Amino acid sequence: MSVTSIVDEKEVLESAASTEVVIQINNMNKWFGQFHVLKDINLTVHRGERIVICGPSGSGKSTLIRCLNRLEEHQQGDIIIDGVTLDSNLKNIDQIRSEVGMVFQSFNLFPHLTALQNCTLSPIWVRKMPRAEAEELAMEYLERVRIPEQAHKYPGQLSGGQQQRVAIARALCMRPRIMLFDEPTSALDPEMIAEVLEVMIELAATGMTMLCVTHEMGFANRVADRVIFMDFGQIVEQNTPREFFENPKSDRTKLFLSQILAH
Amino acid sequence: MTAAADRTGSTRQLPKQRLDPLRWLREKLFNTWYNTILTFIALAIIYKFAAVIWQWGFVDAVWIAENRRECLNISPGGACWAGVIAWFKAIIYGRYPAVELWRINLGVLLLAAWLAPLWLPRVSMKTVIGLSTVVFYPFLAGYLFVGGEKGILIQVTVTAAIVCLAVNSVHSLIGVVNGGSLVRTLLGLLRLQHRSEKAQRNTLLALLAAFFAIVFALQAGWTLEEVSWVKWGGLFLTLVISGIGITMALPMGIILALGRRSRLPVIRVLCITFIELFRSVPLITVLFMATTMFPLFLPEGFNLNKLVQVIVAVCLFSGCYMAEIVRGGLQAIPKGQYEAAQAMGLGYWKMMSFVVMPQALKYMIPNIVGNFMGLLKDTTLVSIIGLFDILNMIKAASQDVPWRGLHKEPLLVGAIIFFIICFAMSKYSQRLEVKLSAGERR
Repeated sequence: MSVTSIVDEKEVLESAASTEVVIQINNMNKWFGQFHVLKDINLTVHRGERIVICGPSGSGKSTLIRCLNRLEEHQQGDIIIDGVTLDSNLKNIDQIRSEVGMVFQSFNLFPHLTALQNCTLSPIWVRKMPRAEAEELAMEYLERVRIPEQAHKYPGQLSGGQQQRVAIARALCMRPRIMLFDEPTSALDPEMIAEVLEVMIELAATGMTMLCVTHEMGFANRVADRVIFMDFGQIVEQNTPREFFENPKSDRTKLFLSQILAH
Repeated sequence: MTAAADRTGSTRQLPKQRLDPLRWLREKLFNTWYNTILTFIALAIIYKFAAVIWQWGFVDAVWIAENRRECLNISPGGACWAGVIAWFKAIIYGRYPAVELWRINLGVLLLAAWLAPLWLPRVSMKTVIGLSTVVFYPFLAGYLFVGGEKGILIQVTVTAAIVCLAVNSVHSLIGVVNGGSLVRTLLGLLRLQHRSEKAQRNTLLALLAAFFAIVFALQAGWTLEEVSWVKWGGLFLTLVISGIGITMALPMGIILALGRRSRLPVIRVLCITFIELFRSVPLITVLFMATTMFPLFLPEGFNLNKLVQVIVAVCLFSGCYMAEIVRGGLQAIPKGQYEAAQAMGLGYWKMMSFVVMPQALKYMIPNIVGNFMGLLKDTTLVSIIGLFDILNMIKAASQDVPWRGLHKEPLLVGAIIFFIICFAMSKYSQRLEVKLSAGERR
């Protein structure tokens, strides 16, 4: 039984998007050395919008969202997040990074700290919160991702699904306005994918602006306001999930969908 | 939870294996015919060695004699330990005046007392205690060992060191006795728990200042006889040089390694040049250059004595080797750790201090301790430029008129001393590795 069928039975989430523009990408181009990896990207994201980015591997989807918090640098074009232009100005970068949370495919939890310490590190040292208040905040988010009892365990003692949920709680402890997900369930065993997707769906229901690179089409169907298809560094097609899955316009989209929805 | 418990089925414990020495011998040493032969050959070799050493070192040895001639008369084939005993004080302390030896002993005791809390279980703020040792102990020990007139700067630093030691000791005692901390106990005694944080801080600082003033007044009238560095020698000198080298090597290595990986071109080029320069020349060359060329670079009239030149050279040399070890450790940290820290908004220094360095240092420990052990043994090279470290003292013992020709015995004792120190370092590093791997899945 695939995850798609479990999720399909439930209701599609209502859109919480507003008209306020929170991410604006204009004519963005990026090269890795001589390799042109992102070509003429134009994208507008509104507050509360939930976007799923999909595409074949090597299409630049991860690179695109990593450009949004300057883990990768773009060479041409503008990226404006919450009114702040993303360039080499360190102050701007720091400001954007504290408003944009990221969840990685390989979790990237800090193995020498407990789950609680992973979550409180940034609030204490970046937001200058007192320790007791930071721990209270961290416990609140660990409860939201449904693992408060693991707070004092080290990442090495947790399962993959639990680690990813701690990673989501850690990103949420900074109270970001935008959450980026880079293939959050791709490294998980199938039985753990559902628990992480549940957490992400609950997060979406609270009105968080989310950009999610994923292959979980059931999740896209249920949660996304927009599905974007990327291929060879370009945005080929973007549409509502219903339109995207039922009436794909480009041939490349049709090919991709036939490949991933086959099984 | 119950579903999970049912799934595990009938789990049992591994049946206990009884230790049986006869069976162990049969399985490990005598299991096949060629292993049996090898075991007997090995036993024969061990016996031969042990017998020779026992004969030479204990049975035929001479423990009391006036000179080597007498040793040889009493027992020509045995070890002449009498010579080592006569020279033992020199081998350990050098030519430090006998009446002032208590200062060296006191210095070592104070170091042990300062560092002891790091091993006690219920003491808090261990990092602060450790750092205070590195910052304040050198001043106290420096004055104890050198002595002489106390300028105002020395008086202040010595007072600070004594105050720090006293505060540490009381804090540790409180920690061991009831698990509390000095700050909390003082606040309780003065009934300040309910006052504002500012009032608490000011009162404690005032107490500290008063204590400082009292100690300052007490130590103002007390001076120690000056002992020139020329008289320092033996194990004492070796430990001073390598101790300072070891303490400076790690911070210097971290800074150089971070500089080498920096994106700022000037810093990167400077660090690479510095590191490669010192790694390309033998330590003995660096020592020669330090003692002959250093005075050229210093301003007029500013003379550094030979010991300081040597210490600076040793610090620079070991710092560069340490830089490469640190860089190796930093490279072992997956890129995802750096990215996760950056994505959370941690700046460069916070990322390094809280995320990268704690993980990297764990990987570096075998290399770091190996480097320290090498440094300790490399300091014997200073004997070539005329400083009387432990090796030079041992050589002097063999050239001393009553004991001329006494080579084997002092060298053996020197080797044993080095072995004890290095083995202790090695054992400590293994304990450290085990402690820092807490929580890791093996």
